[in-house]
Amino acid sequence: MASSYLLPYSQPNVHPTAASQPRQHHWSPYTENGGCILGIAGKDYVIIAGDTRSSEGYSINTRTARKVYDVGSGIILGVVGMSADGEELVRKVARKIDDYKRNHDKHITVAAAAVMLSRILYQKRFFPYYCQPLLGGLDEEGIGAIYSYDYVGSFEREQSRAYGAAASLITPFLDNQINLKNQFVPGSNGEEPRPKVDLSKEQVEKIIKDAFTSAVERHIEVGDGLQVVSIVKGSREEGEEEDEDERDKTAGGGVISEVMSDLKKD
Amino acid sequence: MKNPTMDVLLGIRGKDFVLIGTSKAFLHGITVVKSTDDKTRALNDHTLLAFSGEAGDTIQFAEFVQANTQLYTMRHSSDLPVSSVASFVRTELASSLRSRHPYTVNLLIGGYDTKKEQPELYWLDYLASSTEIPYAAHGYAQYYCLSILDAHYRKNMGVEEVAGLMRDCHEELKRRMPIDFKGLLVKIVDKDGIRELEGF
Amino acid sequence: MSNPFTLNGGACLAMAGKDCVAIACDLRLGQQALTLSNNFPKVFNYGDVFLGLTGLATDVQTMHSLFRYKVNLYRLREEREIEPETMANLVSSTLYERRFGPYFVSPVVAGINQRTGKPFICGFDSIGCIDFAKDFIVSGTASDQLFGVAEGLWEPDLEPEDLFETVSQTLLNSLDRDALAGWGAHVYIITKDKVTKRLLRSRQD
Repeated sequence: MASSYLLPYSQPNVHPTAASQPRQHHWSPYTENGGCILGIAGKDYVIIAGDTRSSEGYSINTRTARKVYDVGSGIILGVVGMSADGEELVRKVARKIDDYKRNHDKHITVAAAAVMLSRILYQKRFFPYYCQPLLGGLDEEGIGAIYSYDYVGSFEREQSRAYGAAASLITPFLDNQINLKNQFVPGSNGEEPRPKVDLSKEQVEKIIKDAFTSAVERHIEVGDGLQVVSIVKGSREEGEEEDEDERDKTAGGGVISEVMSDLKKD
Repeated sequence: MKNPTMDVLLGIRGKDFVLIGTSKAFLHGITVVKSTDDKTRALNDHTLLAFSGEAGDTIQFAEFVQANTQLYTMRHSSDLPVSSVASFVRTELASSLRSRHPYTVNLLIGGYDTKKEQPELYWLDYLASSTEIPYAAHGYAQYYCLSILDAHYRKNMGVEEVAGLMRDCHEELKRRMPIDFKGLLVKIVDKDGIRELEGF
Repeated sequence: MSNPFTLNGGACLAMAGKDCVAIACDLRLGQQALTLSNNFPKVFNYGDVFLGLTGLATDVQTMHSLFRYKVNLYRLREEREIEPETMANLVSSTLYERRFGPYFVSPVVAGINQRTGKPFICGFDSIGCIDFAKDFIVSGTASDQLFGVAEGLWEPDLEPEDLFETVSQTLLNSLDRDALAGWGAHVYIITKDKVTKRLLRSRQD
């Protein structure tokens, strides 16, 4: 009623009726389900861990949601953001990896899978999957690889990466504990950075547990349980490999294992 | 935060002096109303205030603090040192900020402390955030000049060197600013007082 | 208008140890993404008590001079130094006075009670709600990062030198992941009869 001020005071019903008012409807196809994932690549292993809480606002939908998946060919995929989109993405990636195996009669390499995931994300450039994925596997030399992505497929191979609700809490902790940032050789007056060392899988698992316990303490969307999925090179026993179907072996020759543990539930 | 202005305020602290440059154009929107404007006031013999911001506020506020510092000089027969002037100006601006009509004024205060025998340059924005820094600018000039000063500023520079820096900034501003700001009026503050510097 | 709490940038952190406390801050002053100064400390002391102030720079300065005034008057009236617990209540009531037009600051108080010798730290929201903690308090634009790292590195009963290392590592690594804070840091280690102030060199980006 832009010109209602022109009407005399006696004018009845100057207020807009419900019928005369335009009503705006809108459609919001996205939600945020919280949670956090963390990927670390080592010399001969790779780990992606995630908490198992899935929430919407202040409500917890489930305490047992897994965020890290085995997508075949010795490749693992962790997703946070909107879980419906995440699960759809995982299905699509798993399907494509299976297709690759059947079409080429060989396992896809992590590097190729990484590019493939980028394309899958970019195909939905103007209606993106609302999730941030972390792809993990052993490369052709058997070295651990983590690939991190944004919503639309920009990606990078990294040593470590945290995604999700508590990423801002965990990332600087990882900088310090994994990449030894701001640490110097004693007596060097801050001139000589502490040399980088290859951390063992056990050391990294401890850091992951610490990172998540910290995040749980200060972030309400993180908690309940911890799912740690790791790929270790050549831990398959010699005899066992002979019996298996050729297709079950993976590109990097790694074996995937999963360990579940508890986190605080409050 | 308010939008930055096209008015140029530039200050550089040298070895034993401060240089302050201000644009000579008096702007009213995109119109140049005057091309010989002086956006500075001498607060006392060794303190120079440069200002930009909302038209009425600037001179009103500048002359208010000028009158008060001069009153101090008369009452005490000695000048308030630069740091104290800056503190006073900040306090006035801060109390104005939470009043019904805040002054929208950005300031630079350049001065020479005759007791400590050192130059000082204070940067203050209209929110009354204040800090003492070696070189400072206000408005869009910040984005063009601070990078030049980051690259070329050195400690204990002489008058010629600092004037050279000021000229480099001036050149860059002339090249990049969308309107003619009618050149810089450059003043120097040192132990001998405040003077205009020729050749800009 | 942008958020006054993030306009100028800055971070502050306090931690408690065994008979000691530490408080630290960065040195940046900026206007959004533009850095104006790398010499803008945010931790001040009033006698034996330390106050960290992050948020809108003008309010940081106003609060600093206001508390200097108030604590000086307290000292004259009481003929003794203010204790950290008292300071906490002074900060709280001062902020609540401006309940409906607040100072845009997130203060942190740290000190050792000179009578009992007990370490004390606490934080506040901008209208004076006190957050007592026995481990650590964070504030500023890097607070998420500080929470994460401090929760991972802090442990009970740290000796002064270990507390210094913990505070410094927590602050430095958090600052490096925040574009609005950093450019150097001040760290104070406070014991009952000694205060050590250190200037940390850090990344300049």
